[in-house]
Parts: sequence; structure tokens; C-alpha cells
Amino acid sequence: METLTHTAAFLLEWNVILAALIGVTWGIMGGSLPGISPSITMALLLPFTYTLDPTSAIVLLASTYIGAEYGGSVPAILIRTPGTNAAAATVIDGYEMNRQGKAGLALGISLYSGVIGSLFGLAMLMTLSGPLAQVALAFTPMAYFALGILGLSVIATLSGENLVKGLIAAMLGLIIATIGSDPVTGGTRFTFGSAELLGGIEPVMIMVGLFAMSELLVQASRRGKDDRVTSRPRIQFPDWPLAKRLIPAQLIGNGIGTFEGVMPGAGGTIASFMSYNEARRWSRHPEEFGKGSPEGIAAPETANNTVAETALVPLLSFGIPGSNSTAILLGGFLIHGIVPGPMLFQKSGEVVYGLYAGLFTAAIGQLVIGMAMLPVCIWLVNRPRPYLNAFIFALILSGIYSIHNEAFDLGIMIAAGVAGFFMRMLRFPFLPTVLGLVLGYLVESNFRRSLVLSGDDLMIFVDDRISLALLVLAFLFIGGSIAKRGYELLRHRPSSTFSENAES
Amino acid sequence: MLTRDFVGGVASIAIGAVYLFFAYQLRSSALDDSMGPGGLPRLYGWLLVGLGAVLTIQALLASRLATADVSSEEKGEWDGQGRKVAFAAGLLAIGLGYIFVIETLGYLLSVAVLLLVTALYLGAGNKGRVVAVAVFGAIFLWVMFVIVLGVRMPSGLLASLGL
Amino acid sequence: MNKLHLVSAVAAVVWAGGLNSAQAQEYPVDTVTLITHSSPGGGSDVFLRELSRYLAPYLGANVIVENVSGGSGAKAMAQLAQAPADGSMFYATTPTFIYTSLLSDPEYKYTDLEPLVNFFIDPEVIYTSAKSEFKTLEDVIQYARDGRGQWGAANPASLERQALEQLKAASGVNAAVVTHEGGGDMMINVLNGTLQIGVGEVQEIQSQIEAGELRLLATFSDKRLDAFPEVPTVKETGYDVVVRKFRGLAGPKGLPDDVVAAWEAATQKVLADPKYKEAYEGANLRAEFIPHADYVKFIETFGAETEGFLKETGVIE
Repeated sequence: METLTHTAAFLLEWNVILAALIGVTWGIMGGSLPGISPSITMALLLPFTYTLDPTSAIVLLASTYIGAEYGGSVPAILIRTPGTNAAAATVIDGYEMNRQGKAGLALGISLYSGVIGSLFGLAMLMTLSGPLAQVALAFTPMAYFALGILGLSVIATLSGENLVKGLIAAMLGLIIATIGSDPVTGGTRFTFGSAELLGGIEPVMIMVGLFAMSELLVQASRRGKDDRVTSRPRIQFPDWPLAKRLIPAQLIGNGIGTFEGVMPGAGGTIASFMSYNEARRWSRHPEEFGKGSPEGIAAPETANNTVAETALVPLLSFGIPGSNSTAILLGGFLIHGIVPGPMLFQKSGEVVYGLYAGLFTAAIGQLVIGMAMLPVCIWLVNRPRPYLNAFIFALILSGIYSIHNEAFDLGIMIAAGVAGFFMRMLRFPFLPTVLGLVLGYLVESNFRRSLVLSGDDLMIFVDDRISLALLVLAFLFIGGSIAKRGYELLRHRPSSTFSENAES
Repeated sequence: MLTRDFVGGVASIAIGAVYLFFAYQLRSSALDDSMGPGGLPRLYGWLLVGLGAVLTIQALLASRLATADVSSEEKGEWDGQGRKVAFAAGLLAIGLGYIFVIETLGYLLSVAVLLLVTALYLGAGNKGRVVAVAVFGAIFLWVMFVIVLGVRMPSGLLASLGL
Repeated sequence: MNKLHLVSAVAAVVWAGGLNSAQAQEYPVDTVTLITHSSPGGGSDVFLRELSRYLAPYLGANVIVENVSGGSGAKAMAQLAQAPADGSMFYATTPTFIYTSLLSDPEYKYTDLEPLVNFFIDPEVIYTSAKSEFKTLEDVIQYARDGRGQWGAANPASLERQALEQLKAASGVNAAVVTHEGGGDMMINVLNGTLQIGVGEVQEIQSQIEAGELRLLATFSDKRLDAFPEVPTVKETGYDVVVRKFRGLAGPKGLPDDVVAAWEAATQKVLADPKYKEAYEGANLRAEFIPHADYVKFIETFGAETEGFLKETGVIE
């Protein structure tokens, strides 16, 4: 209650409101450009925060983070390009809805799910940050490994009709994740003497390649056969029956997002994929997933916006940044001489209340700015194919270049696009590759770290209770989905299994 | 015989084998844990080879078991793929060309050329419109990335103009 | 997919506040660019930005900070090595640039640069959870002697890791040295008792120490810290391990004498500036000015020692 009154006072401060609105607008813009990640968007603002008062500075950066996490879904839906890593799950059904001429509805769902996610996450941050911090504290390397395995277990259900092909695709992702420095010794692996590969390959390069570049190649290969349905340039919110249907998916997103956000290093991408998968499991219409299901947008978008809020829990409570974006926010605090951590509330409580108020304003601002901006975006993608595709090509080449200012990265992206083109031709699914890529490092580093801790005793994964629980859950998921496949095979019911890339 | 799955399986075995070749060359050191840098890569490599083999066998069995109409279906499966690959390769060539010219031509010019060539390649008809899209699109992207976001794009030929 | 690889040209221009010509020296260029491989908000970045604010008037030139991340410094070193040696561009050095040079064997290494001056030595400390049973470093080592110790280092192949491996060797115990992806990750594992001790810089754990959640056991510095006079050095405890995490600048080879002289003078003045002093002492940095000639030797020795360690353990050939 005290928190609420202190926070409410800041809702009247014009500098906080202004910072939140500027931040969220800037964030949506940066997030919706492929390659410009939330952290880069924030880093670009960092120098301007010097001259601001601490509260406005922190609000500006945090609102940018919120906006950017949302902004990633716009190109995901409109041009099959995830603007941020966490928007990769939104691509599947979002782009499918767009192809069916329902871009306005898809964007409406992602916008209001995002706002719900932000508000829910903020409520969690304000009321439960103490208990949630304890959850973060309880996660040992063993538990992180188990969490990674749980994330990978999603592959079993997202593999399409052939599990073997899904697993092969996942292996490709895991293999790409091993490029760079070794997590234990720091030595180099598979870099072939190239300085550009020392830091590993950014997942976003592969994602943009697999999704967007391969789509451009496929459309080029189909020359002239344009079977596109255009959408009306109007943003559309779901009617009540549809909104009601989305509620379970959004609750799943909220729940998973809250926990994943709190754990440093886990992050939005896992949260959105797991929410997507759970939403499909519990949906009354699981067969629609992959073919333009509105729930398939609502769940991941709620999740990644929730993550953007609860990711502040470990930052504020321990001073530990769980991601690149929160690391920059930490920098913002430090530059103003504020040290996040257990003493933050005693020493600079006012800044925290200001931050809460700013985040609230940003969530509302996101709705308004989204509604103003999205019709223009739909209009843009309704332009004739040759021009649109040429522009998308230029956009992704520009975005990927700006990650490290390296033409080398463009080569990686295009190579991933070619790989994606052939994977589509041979009917391999992409999603397992993306999951393997995102989770590979988490799984490997924590697995090996745990074995160093235990002196190579695998029992350590059983002795750690959280790890045991998560592993059991993962095996239940995998076992269940294999059993289901077997059952459907026996009954000769050609599959309600998930399929993406349905078209060749 | 050459079904999609067969080709996919063989490709997986090949990729796995190449990866394993490099994975076995990783050096070990006294700072290593017992698995070492090569531990999991070797596991991934063998799994990929194994899964590729399973897929290949599946594909072979499936074509054995299938009935006579297989041959016609197979033909359909690869019909027109060669032409498709050729068309896609054209776009790929444009992309690779962009990588080669960006450092010398500079961002603004190369992105304009990219827009022009890609739109024409993809079948844009109206010449005036193509040029307009290329010019204004390039200026828009340049303003967005270089001015607004402050990304250091190569300036190339136009360096002297301060672009 | 390590922490933080961003590239951005973030520039914070700090005007040389009212260049009153009587006091300011003639610095050969108007603008000095300080490059860091750390991304905005990271350790070296915050250090440089803070420094740039106070340094400009003493140096008599604008000071700009630029982030060139990628390859853990490999890219920044390449840029510096090819830059003109006119005093317009310097690189913020930490032990990372030596480790990167040795481990990844990039085209341009630390030996291709000329160390300029040193500003700070960050104290590296050993800490444990306040709830743990360990009161002294000896307790921890005894625990490891009896069974199997678990010690945490923030990054693989880092100065912290090297310090712990040396401590292991000096005490003759067999503890597992567990590496992490940054100090935050490791701190959680110390707090939840997975690790007995962690090694890190004081400023990273300051808030937890104030809140009484972490306890300092020893410092790897050569003498006790002013802020924590009761914490013994590792050397006092009987293990001869001293770690010096330096923060200084390096430039391209062949720096002119007047540039070096200007920096030596300005560095001493800025470190004595009362306002700046308050800021850096608050962040637990220890000023340790090392003049050019000594700093070149210092980096040489540091590089040789590190190379020896990495070769001995077989990480590099």
C-alpha cells in the first residue's frame, strides 16, 4: 500500500511521464528494426541520460527496454523477421495470420497482450519482488541446466510430423551455439582463426536468416506467382468471444514470464517459446497452432513483456543484471551513483518509486503509440511485392550490419538464409534450430559447471531439488508427446501434430 | 529413391562428420573440466550423424514399402525445384554483391543499388517507380540508421561529402 | 553468446571547461578518443566516462569515450594499433586485453600497443556468504583440505581464475574452481551456498557487504584496503599470491614525448582532484599512478607472467 501511494505521487511528475513516453517510443522503433536489439536501443540513449536527474534517466532506459521488447513483434508479424530474439515465437502464427489478411488483428492481439504482460509484470515487481528474489537465489547451476533441458523438451512437440527431422534441426542449433569461446576454459572453439567469431554468433543473425532471408529466397524462386492477401491498414482488437479465448494463453504467458524473467540469464526467448508450447497444450484448438492461431501470438507476446518487467527483480534486489539490456540499465544506475542491491530501497527508495510510476506510464504509452504507428506499418507492407521485398532485403542487411559493424555478419545471415531455404525444401522445421541455438550455451555451461562442482558426479542433478523437479517435468513432456505421436500413428490418424513451413 | 528425407538424412550425416572432424581437433588443457571443450561438441556430432542415419534408413524403408505409384510421386516431388533454386540463387548473388561493394561504395549508394537491382530482379515493371523507390528508400534507411540511430555505416565514395 | 557484445558509437563530449591558457598545456590535438571494449554500462565504460568528465580541463582537450566491443578487445586493439600515434586515440586497458591477446591469438596483440600510464589498481577480494561457517580464509582452505572445496571465479581464463589457481597451488588443496559468466552469476552461487567463496572486485559486491549479506575474508592486494582495514591480505594469511588488476591506457606504438608528458602531468592532477577523488573512492577504486616508463615494464611483466601461467596449465601452446 505504501508502495502504491509513493508511486502514485510520481505519476504527476512531468519529467517521469515525459521520460517514459520518449523511452517507449524510441524502444518500439529500435525493437522493430531487425538487428537493433533492445540492449543496443538502450545503449544509444545512455549518453543522454548523463544530464538527466537519476529518476528520469532510469525511467527513460527502462521504458526503452519495455518498448523494444514489444517492438520486436511488429516485423515478426508483418515481414516474418523477429525484431528481437524473444519475438521468434511470435513469427510462427503472427506471419501466418498476416498471410491470411489478418495483420490488423494479429498486431492488435500482440499489442494488447503486450500491455497486459507489462502491467502484470509490473504488479509482480511491485508486490512480490521479495519472494521472487528468493526464487532467483535458489537457482543453482544444476537448476539452470534442468531449466535449459525443460526448454529443449519443447522440441518434442514443435518438430512437425517427423521427430527425427526436428531433432536434427535442434542439433544444428546446438552446434552453432558451440562456436566462440569455451564457457569453462575460455579457449576458442570452431573459430578458424577469425576474430569475428570469438564472441560467438548472435542468435538474431541466424533467426533473421532462417525466417526472413529464406522467405525472400522462396519468394524469389516463385517469381511472379503472387497469391497474397493484403490486410486493411487498420488495427483491430479482438471481440469479446476471441478475447475470452485468449485469456488462458495470456495467463500462461504471465506465469511463465514472471519466473523466467526473475532468473538471471534465462530470459525472454525461453519464456516466449515455453508459453507458446503450453498455450498450445492447453488450448481448445491446438490444431490451429502454426496455421495462424491468435493464441499463438497472445501467449509469447504476454510472456516477453512480462519478462521485461520481472527481469528488474534481480537487478534491483541484488544488483545482478540477467541480460544485456538489464546490464545497460545497471550502467544507468551506476553512472548516477546509485548502486542497486539490498540497500537500494533504504538509500534511494524515491528512484525506485519513480521507476515504478514510469513503467506504468510506459505500458499505457505503448498502447497509444502502437495504435498510432501500426496502421502505417500495415500500409507499408501492402506495397507491391517486388518493392516490398527489395526494401525488406535492404532493411535486414542494414540491421544485421549494425550489430557489430561487420560485413562478415551479413555473410552469416545470408548463409543461414540459404540453409533455411534448403531446410524448407527438405521440410525440416526451424523452431528446434532456434531453440537449440538459444539454449545451447545455457545448457552446456551449466552442465559442465555442475560437474566441476560435484567432481563429475551426475547425482548432483538429482540431489538438487529444483533441478530434479524440472528434469522430471521435462521427461514427462517428452514422454507424453512421444506417446501421443505413437498413439496417433497406430490409429492412422494423420496427425494433429504441429506443422510450420507447411508450404514448400 | 531420392526422396526429400533421403537427401536430408545424407546431408545431416555429412554435416555431422565435418563437425566431428573439427571437434576432435580441439586442444585440451589443465584448466579443463573432465568433459573439456570438445565433450559436448563430440556428443552433438555423433547424435547428428546417428539421427541422419535413422532418417536415411526411414526414407529407404518408406520407398521400399510404398506401392507402384511411387515413381510418379517422386518425379512430382522434385519437379521444378531446379528452376526455383536458380531463381533464389539470383537473389543470393545480389546479396553477396552487396557485401562486396558496401565498404567501397559506402552505405547510401550500395543500399540504393541494392533496392534498384532487387526490385527489378523480382519483376517490378514501372521504371520510374523503381528509381524513385530506390532513391527514397535508400535515403530513408540512411536517415534511420545513420542519423537517428547513429550506426557507423561505411561511407565509402561519399566520405568526402560527409555522408 | 557471452555477456554483452554490442557495438555502438556512443560519444559523450565533455568540453574542456573554459580553456584558460595560463594553466592548460598545449595538447597537440583538440579531441582525444578513449576506446573501450566494454559495452555501455560495463565496468571499463563507467570508469572511462567518469574519468572523461574530470580529465578534460587538466589535459586541455576534449575527451570522448567510444565503445568498440567485439572479440573481447581484439577489435579495439586492431583499431588502436592502426591509429596514428599523435595522442588522439587511446585504449582503456584491463588485464582482459592481455588474456585476449594470449588466448585468441588475434592479428593485433597487446604487444602491438604502447602502454601509456596507469590510473587505478582494483582490489580483488575473496568473499563468502554472511550465513556461512567460514570466518577466515584459513577456514575455507581447511574445508577444502578435508573434502572438496568449491571456489568461484567470475569468468573463464581471467585474472580471478588465475588468482584462485595460484592460491590452490600455494596451499596445496584440491578445490574445484568454477567459472561463470560474470560476477553476478557467481554472487548468486555464493549467496545460496553452492560455492564457499567467490573472487571479485569490491565495487561489484559493495551493496551486499553494506547489507551484511556477504563477508570479506581476504584481499589479493599487496597491502590492506583503506575501506576495510580489518580484512587481511592473502599474503599475510601465508599464501604468496598478489593480484593487481590494473586500469590504465595504452596507445599506438611510438607515442611522442610531449603527449606522454602531458598525460603524466594530467593523470596525477586529475587523481588528486578532490571531487573526482570522492567519486572514485566511493566506488572503491585505488588510485595508483604508474608513469609511462614503469608502466611499459609493468605490462611486459604482467604479460610474461600470464603467458607463463597459461602455458604451464596447457591452455595455450
